Amino acid sequence: MNQEGTQDALLKQALDVIRPWVKEEHNPQPNRLDVVIGREDLLAVVEALKNARWGYLSAITGLDRPSTPPPESVENQEGTIEVLYHFCEKDKVLTLRVSVPYNDASLPSICNILPSATLFERELSEMFGISIIGTPDPSRLLLPDSWPSGVYPLRKSFSGFSEVTEAQK
Amino acid sequence: MSEKKESRFLDKIRTWARVNSPWALHYNSGSCNGCDIEILATLTPRYDVERFGIKLQGSPRHADVLICTGPVTLQSRDRLLRIYEQMPEPKFVVVVGSCGISGGVFQGCYNVLGGIEKVIPVDMYIPGCPPKPEAIIFGIVQLLEALKTGRKPDSMASLPQPAFETAGGTQ
Amino acid sequence: MSGERFVIPIGPQHPALKEPSHFEIFVDGEQVTGATLRLGYVHRGIEKGAEQRTWTQNLYLMERICGICSHVHALAFAQGVEALAGVQAPPRARAIRQVIAELERLHSHLLWLGVAAHEAGFDALFMYSWRDREVVMDLLELVSGNRVNYSANLLGGVKFDITAEQKVRILDGLNFIEERVHYYLGVVNTDETFLGRTRGVGLLSREEAERLGAVGPTARASGVTRDVRVDAPYAAYSEFPVKMVVSQQGDLQARFVVRLDECFESIRVIREILNNMPESELVVRMPRRIPAGEVVSRVEAPRGELFYFIVSGGGDKPERVKVRTPSLANWGTVLATAPGHKLADIPMLVAGIDPCFSCNDR
Repeated sequence: MNQEGTQDALLKQALDVIRPWVKEEHNPQPNRLDVVIGREDLLAVVEALKNARWGYLSAITGLDRPSTPPPESVENQEGTIEVLYHFCEKDKVLTLRVSVPYNDASLPSICNILPSATLFERELSEMFGISIIGTPDPSRLLLPDSWPSGVYPLRKSFSGFSEVTEAQK
Repeated sequence: MSEKKESRFLDKIRTWARVNSPWALHYNSGSCNGCDIEILATLTPRYDVERFGIKLQGSPRHADVLICTGPVTLQSRDRLLRIYEQMPEPKFVVVVGSCGISGGVFQGCYNVLGGIEKVIPVDMYIPGCPPKPEAIIFGIVQLLEALKTGRKPDSMASLPQPAFETAGGTQ
Repeated sequence: MSGERFVIPIGPQHPALKEPSHFEIFVDGEQVTGATLRLGYVHRGIEKGAEQRTWTQNLYLMERICGICSHVHALAFAQGVEALAGVQAPPRARAIRQVIAELERLHSHLLWLGVAAHEAGFDALFMYSWRDREVVMDLLELVSGNRVNYSANLLGGVKFDITAEQKVRILDGLNFIEERVHYYLGVVNTDETFLGRTRGVGLLSREEAERLGAVGPTARASGVTRDVRVDAPYAAYSEFPVKMVVSQQGDLQARFVVRLDECFESIRVIREILNNMPESELVVRMPRRIPAGEVVSRVEAPRGELFYFIVSGGGDKPERVKVRTPSLANWGTVLATAPGHKLADIPMLVAGIDPCFSCNDR
């Protein structure tokens, strides 16, 4: 059974669709393809995948990459946040990887193309402090209204509960 | 219980000695649902907690007993306080599950206060993760007995211990 | 009163919904014109908490994201960590994982049936289905020692075996459940009042379901052929496959029928596994420090695809654990289908996606 052949074909199909914008590609596992793209190309890539009807957006993950690991100074941290857009087709997972620096942490919203992304974008925004330009609903999804602004729980510099109560005082 | 807490509790019970069917309100302050589905299971035919005279309903203003679960997330804290304040005296709070006691596995998580007692006074704890419906009913019945007789519930330590069978015979 | 808009907040402590949440429904008279969603009442900060706990501690944390689907969370996590460590759980362990997962699906669908019936005002159906569900709870307690949070998974395998006596009890219990599911399917397909509340309500076309990113029975009830057990088999689904249950009807009734039909498939595959259990040890050794890397782990929870993304930095604690739960993916379908319906239909529409707020909020 030529399963290997047909399943590689699915990933190859995706790669062909988005090739013009691919900066780097990796195969971390046989069923996964990771592709690095620039933030300026995000909308074009998502549109291309949607038009080719390849996969569905399964999740958006944020990864915090500070330049200096905590617990060094929380203020004036430098670093980037890598945002992963995971598309699934059968058992294949295509991940678009986009990096944004702390001092310019913004991304365009993909909600005009994929409306289901709104909840994922809201969560990404409040947890990592990335502003999603043009997202239809920018309000908080999970964090309480009383949560101090500027405190992003999933950044490595956030140490936990005591930090919140300090900020609230 | 400390002396002051004990006398407050006994006072509440004494004013209640003739009550037979309290109305209960269930509130989830952030739990995984495990305890809540076991509480709900007590209403279903196999356990049928209503035969003991307790009725689950929806409004705080009519509730005598508040059954709480969850480690108290920041959002649910104000709501929990408000519900407690809306309940008329005398009122009792029963906490079901480890999360309500100490925060359970979520202790230290950033959005969790860690235990219902941090927000409102608690009269009874039913430990477990989640406690079985039998355990929940046991706790509720203890409370109801206390209400009827005017005495506070016995602590678990004073109850007769079951004999356990091991490979070498009963201990 | 035409032309007026009211905002009716439902939650966070609502008599009909057992979990806290907050919707705002915009209405014009009785017609719903829009809906927004605010989550977070059950947000405990688990993804951050995972970074502060060891790999083994996290197994117990992930299990308690949700009490209803606790096994699939632990399963997705364990599988992901095993993949990072380059280890595969032994055949018998994978088979037992699948048995527990399908038993969990049974209990979850029966639980949902009761809750959805309660939303529709059918309290008798709620009582019947939860009474029958007790049989499944007994079986889960029989093999694992707990009715909820069964902790079947270890990193590297499972914690307990299924003995020959337990197998007999399970098969007996399944016979009973199968009969009851037939009865419920009859109710769902023929009861006039039930049909009045569900047929043609909450119509979601296949294109809409795909566009809105629906997963699980919600998607399959609209003809979308997505099921991780079939598309990307895990545990023992390659050796003991399940058939995908799909309906083209796309309405609320279809969501009931799909879940009930799935129960039959679950029962069938559990029987098949129990009668053909592979022999092997139950667990393989796992290192304490998991090699650096990233892994995607997907499983089919009762509500749909559960997506885990786990990053290891080579240490004894994860760098990042991302959890995308199925009900989060399905909310888009409610927010999109609510407008045009009557206010009284909203609880049933919400119930149709089988929402789990503890999963959503994490």
